[in-house]
Amino acid sequence: MKQAQAPTLQDKRTFREFINDGRTQRVLVIILFMLLPMALLITFTYLPFVNMVQFSFTNCTYTNPGKFVGLKNYIDVFSRDDIFGTLIVSVYYMAGSLVQLALSLFFATMMVFGAKGSSIFKACMFFPYLICGIAVGFIFKFFYYRDGVLDTILHLVGVQNCPLWLENKSINNIALTATSVWRYTGQNMVMFLGAMMSVDTSLYEAADLDGANKGQQFRYIIMPSIRTIIVLNMILSISGSLSAFEPPYVITNGAFGTGTFFVVMNRIAHENNKVGLASAMAVFLLALIILVTIFQKVFFKYFFKGSEEDTNRPCKDQLRAEKLIAKKAQKGA
Amino acid sequence: MKKLISILLVLAMALTLAACGGGNTGKTEGGTTAAEVPALKDIKVGEDYQDITATVKVLTDRTDIVDTVYKGYADAFHELYPNITVEYEAVTDYSESITMRLTTGQWGDICFVPASVSKDQLPDYFIPLGSFEDMDAVYNFASDKAYDGVVHGIPNGGNPAGIVYNKRVWKEAGIDKIPTTPDEFLEDLKLIQDNTDAIPLYTNFAAGWTMGQWWDHIFVSATGDQDFRNSIVHYKDPFASRGDMTGPYAVFYTLYEAVSRGLIEEAPSSTDWEWSKPAINRGEIAAMVLGGWAVAQCQEADAHPEDIGYMPFPITVDGVRYATSSSNYAFAINKKASTDNQIAAMVYLKWLIEESTIYQDEKCIPARKDGEMPDFLSDFEGVNLLTNNAAPAGEETLFDDVNNEAEAGIYNDDSVIAGVVECALDGSKTLDEIMTEWNAKWTRAQEALSVEVNQ
Repeated sequence: MKQAQAPTLQDKRTFREFINDGRTQRVLVIILFMLLPMALLITFTYLPFVNMVQFSFTNCTYTNPGKFVGLKNYIDVFSRDDIFGTLIVSVYYMAGSLVQLALSLFFATMMVFGAKGSSIFKACMFFPYLICGIAVGFIFKFFYYRDGVLDTILHLVGVQNCPLWLENKSINNIALTATSVWRYTGQNMVMFLGAMMSVDTSLYEAADLDGANKGQQFRYIIMPSIRTIIVLNMILSISGSLSAFEPPYVITNGAFGTGTFFVVMNRIAHENNKVGLASAMAVFLLALIILVTIFQKVFFKYFFKGSEEDTNRPCKDQLRAEKLIAKKAQKGA
Repeated sequence: MKKLISILLVLAMALTLAACGGGNTGKTEGGTTAAEVPALKDIKVGEDYQDITATVKVLTDRTDIVDTVYKGYADAFHELYPNITVEYEAVTDYSESITMRLTTGQWGDICFVPASVSKDQLPDYFIPLGSFEDMDAVYNFASDKAYDGVVHGIPNGGNPAGIVYNKRVWKEAGIDKIPTTPDEFLEDLKLIQDNTDAIPLYTNFAAGWTMGQWWDHIFVSATGDQDFRNSIVHYKDPFASRGDMTGPYAVFYTLYEAVSRGLIEEAPSSTDWEWSKPAINRGEIAAMVLGGWAVAQCQEADAHPEDIGYMPFPITVDGVRYATSSSNYAFAINKKASTDNQIAAMVYLKWLIEESTIYQDEKCIPARKDGEMPDFLSDFEGVNLLTNNAAPAGEETLFDDVNNEAEAGIYNDDSVIAGVVECALDGSKTLDEIMTEWNAKWTRAQEALSVEVNQ
């Protein structure tokens, strides 16, 4: 019969032993290291968020605490055309993020299949991501100006009648979305490239022997392997497109129908001083982003279903067998 | 040994944290009583308070001249009062940043009062400078930052509202007298377009804040009524047409028609503010709607300062012309600064507005009522330069409340006027439709705040 190793209830350990015990030490270390980040997180994110939710139920301003108005701000968010209607502009940015996804997958695949000078291309394409959003806004402001960079280039190649890129309502949102795509395609590409590197190259050789062309290799080998990264990217891009702010704010200040939800929220908070309504808009945006993210996760679960088996998780029978073994071991001891 | 070191380390860190918390208490011993800090009119600059040692920190929005002109004032004052050092700090995005800084109470000593501080909050942030009667006798625009009979902020002079224009271009086009009604103005712009190469009216649309300059004209300039800014909250449909080309409607009629008749620049979304100043100086632009402060900037922008003129907004009310004079940003002194700093700040303030060259440099109506008027106002002869009256007692914040509730944006949101330009460009709404919408917003706000509508 073996001696019991674990301490029983009769064994009273001293405080010293308790502190010195490896398990306690681990827990202590975890708690102490988390203390500072948690304190910062709570002070600068969670507490202000709780405050903001409180503000959204009042009609306060920056200097006047205001009084409780219940759900009036939320009703305003839904019923006002100039607020709710800005979500239509977000659709442009969502379409832009799909284009971004396609472009970055295309470029990443080209690099994986071996392109000359790929490291230079990688560096050049990634560079826009490093530039601050406001600076990108200013670059494109002068790019799209009447007789600015774009107009000059088009004149050089012989196109005389350039439309007003920022005023013409049918193309100004596309122009602004293009700046966003320009900025983020490189970063997406590098992310996909990293994920694609993990695919076993012998798979490509096997597919070549079987007669698959590059397109089929992409669809059946690469896509399934990096599906987690693709889903992650889609979620981030679509949430980002709902809260697009820098391109419209810097380039047109929301004029000519380019104002997104965020731009209008900023104007209501800072120019009309209606902090309560702006807080309600912010909470609504958060709820919308959460909803869209959940929708996307469900959508992709069904979209990718059957194209890959989770080889990491053991099947149910195996789990049951392991449980039985563990129980027998306990009884026997 | 290791335990000893770790305990000592923890103690050291705790002590540094405590030290960092304690360092600020020196400054926040504010809340001095009015008995210790004098009234502005009682200070004799050059004689009183020679023994105070203090560093006065002034926050300003003039990022362009803070290191040159403003530093010149600080140095000149330092010669007079060697014990007082004045430091300027320029803040970009002034109106948004200063509001947040004010809430900390430790932002410095003198600043320009932002529009976001409403009148009933003035006593919370700034010390009194004197009673209203005393200040009004000596200074212009004393009512601007007065609450409850006490003045908390003294405006840095004022400006009449009008239109900057290039005299040479207007003469070339064949115009010999300045227009007096909106239709005359529009006809003059057409003459300029036909007879010269200049852009008749440059809106500076892309800069955003330049659209907000049109708000200055909707009160006194458009109606001749000094009380209109207060009574507008009681008006039914204040933006509707009055039939005689006066009132806010006439102001926006001028803008809308100028845009829809093509009398502005080709691409409003691509305007360049910094280019427009030398351009109007050279005669490439004929007119711009800007406040009086812009005259000095346009004159200095290029080689023809003598061509820059300033005309009142073309509206005539019953045969009389009016022009709104509004005060600039107002200086005010931090209530939470130490007493010495407050007194030093007061002395500097009095010196700045009475004895320095600030009004010659800024070329605006000076703070003192007996100060010298700038000479570019020659076109304003015969025009009544009136200020908007202070709000009557009990209704001090009513205008701001209705304005914000309606999101009418008067004085604080330029995108509302930008919307007028956009609708005129693509013809999506007529001016009457826009004004009807604004009236509806105004009415809703009046109802929400239970304001009596009796005009």
